[in-house]
Amino acid sequence: MKKKLAVLCCLAMLAAAMAGCSGGSAATTTAAPAPAAPETTAAPATTAAPATTAAPAATEAPAATEAPAAPATPQTITLWHSMSDDAGVLMQRFVEDFNAGPGKEKQITVEAVFQGKYSDSTTKLRTVLQTEQYAELPDVMQIDATGIVDYKTSGKAYTVDDALAADPSYSTGDLVEAVLKAWNYDGVQLGMPFNASTTVMFYNKTLLDAAGVASAPSTFDEIIEAAAKLPAQTEDGQDLVAYAQIPNTPTLANWIGQLPGAGANASYVVDNRNGRDGTATKLVCDSEGTLLRFLTGWKNMLDSGALINKGDGLSDMFYTGRLALYTTSTSNLNSILTTVNKRFELGCAFYPRIDSSANFGATISGSAMFMFDKGDDGKKAAAWEFVKYLASPEVQARFSTGTGYFPVNKGTYEIAAYKDHVAKYPQFAVGVEQLNATSPDMMGVTVGPSTDFYYAIQEYVTAMADEDWTPEETADEMSAALNGLLDQYNKANQ
Amino acid sequence: MRGSRKRRAAAFDALATAVAICIGLAVVFPIVYCVLGAFKTRPEFASIPPTIWPESFHLDNFREVLAKTPMLRYMLNSLITSTIGSGARILFALLAAYAFAFYEFKGKNFFFFLVLATTMLPADTLIVTNYLTVSRLHLMDNYLGMSIIYFVGATQMFMLRQHFRTIPQDFRDAATLDGCGDLGFITRVLLPISRPVVMTLFVQSFVTLWNVYLWTLLVTNKDSLRTVQVGITMLTTVEDTNYSLVMAGVALLLIPSFILFIILQRNIVKGMLSGGLVG
Repeated sequence: MKKKLAVLCCLAMLAAAMAGCSGGSAATTTAAPAPAAPETTAAPATTAAPATTAAPAATEAPAATEAPAAPATPQTITLWHSMSDDAGVLMQRFVEDFNAGPGKEKQITVEAVFQGKYSDSTTKLRTVLQTEQYAELPDVMQIDATGIVDYKTSGKAYTVDDALAADPSYSTGDLVEAVLKAWNYDGVQLGMPFNASTTVMFYNKTLLDAAGVASAPSTFDEIIEAAAKLPAQTEDGQDLVAYAQIPNTPTLANWIGQLPGAGANASYVVDNRNGRDGTATKLVCDSEGTLLRFLTGWKNMLDSGALINKGDGLSDMFYTGRLALYTTSTSNLNSILTTVNKRFELGCAFYPRIDSSANFGATISGSAMFMFDKGDDGKKAAAWEFVKYLASPEVQARFSTGTGYFPVNKGTYEIAAYKDHVAKYPQFAVGVEQLNATSPDMMGVTVGPSTDFYYAIQEYVTAMADEDWTPEETADEMSAALNGLLDQYNKANQ
Repeated sequence: MRGSRKRRAAAFDALATAVAICIGLAVVFPIVYCVLGAFKTRPEFASIPPTIWPESFHLDNFREVLAKTPMLRYMLNSLITSTIGSGARILFALLAAYAFAFYEFKGKNFFFFLVLATTMLPADTLIVTNYLTVSRLHLMDNYLGMSIIYFVGATQMFMLRQHFRTIPQDFRDAATLDGCGDLGFITRVLLPISRPVVMTLFVQSFVTLWNVYLWTLLVTNKDSLRTVQVGITMLTTVEDTNYSLVMAGVALLLIPSFILFIILQRNIVKGMLSGGLVG
């Protein structure tokens, strides 16, 4: 009897230990479809200016119109951000400068708090919203695609449009239009652009030149051609690969978005223009054949050996000359330049395309600044002042040259310091040029089950690479899985 | 006859030592690799084949960690929350275990298993409820709120109760006869003989709390209250992580655990040995 008990206890403890191990990751994945419960009622409010009116607490009517342009009494506001490493240091400096300069004049103090990666801060936002502890909400929060749906349906949004109504003197016409549009949902400007980046292709020019590849490949076929010319090994006997990547939601949106579609100069992964005009309900890239077209091209690259199915550690492979082409965000350009230093010549080209019939271009990534309405007009006005400061030409110039994000304010492009920087490091210009070349119809994907969606895409492409599925099989399986995720989410959030 | 047995024993000893050394190296290697990696430059760290020994012991990574994050402040925060959390946890576990081991009361087994059953609940499922509780208690942004959910641990309670059951009831009877109450018995008799077990549990719990990331991130909204794990995240970016920099951060935050281990090492070893005898 005693022995049985002991065995039982041991099992219980083992289970506990295992549950403990899976800790961190489980928290974020299981939390993904979470925003369900409390916000359901607010969801239909997406049709028209939702935020302030939908919020039960904000009974003081569309507070926006009454908010003064600058607060009369001293205000302290909080900022939640996810900027780490070099960008984190810069963010801290901007806050200090604001507090010492324009903030001091207007009696505003900003307290900045790093809230972990975007996925962590989204988890935190969801927890606060689920438990309705609205007092814990920040005044300004940096949110990326993972948290946008939560913000939109929170009922506590103080949108840029609300702020503009209170402060008609400010014009968003000074901001880069494409970036503004990236955070505009159903015609409402939800967020204020701050850090915008796009995906480009960096390449080891020294390596390509030596192999006789005259220009950077721009299509999947050209990548295969270039790979055939590259040596199989580096000078010190390491395996050399032309290209490595595992597609995920944003990269898939890019490749599918590059294909001209029916009625628009871009194709979409999910319906409602990638979830921009309304909640995404199903995939469209499967029925339109664009998914299969992408997977076929991808499989060709895999089969030819030009591409390996690997998604992490790519930067280190690239730095040590073991990877020739490296598609990544422009946001880390500064750190890439410093690390590559003079080891080889760093080339930067447009994001490659499936084939030459596709357009060049990539969606805008990064995040924006979002304000919350906690029922205090003074704080809202203060938050708006700070958000405007972060998007100002000077701050954007410093941020851009210190990281690689491109400036969101048109004024920055006229600042001498910025122009000098771009002249010295022409790689900085590629992202902006690509942005200008990108069809305005191209959109990033916004879906409710963002985390699961992201990993499901990777999972099925990996199965195609590792288990040798045909592109047709993969397209069928992937579309079934992704549609299932959307169904589940939408049923749970009706 | 005796000689050959001695020789066989010696051979077994040598073999056991060799195996133990191998296992020891396997356990220590990641830590050594991490500490040495902290001194490498980024390209050096990424080089293939990987090197173990850095080309030179340059301290730039450490300087960068301290410049980019207030790591020392975070270490202090982690130290405080881990100490409070582990201390309270051991205290409550001790008292509960004492009751389960030495008292007879109705439903004892039921309550014991009820407590044990809590280990079956994955901590993540409780996060939202815990958050709500802590928020309603107005414990956001303070050390108590950061550590309070760790105050009661069934595992520690179970371990202590198992240990207490090896201590004869006669001890307590004798103490009672001598006029010693429960608290007197715990502090004067039970604790001194259980010190190794208690210390081992404390260190183990301390290290667990030291590694907590999500909870402390959730309940704090001030940079000055952040813990070391958040500090490590500040050194990475989604796109691209400089691992030698992260290693430098990790090497720094290994120091307190390391010191604690050295101080309590003797007790831990004793605790493991006595545990072995009991088991």
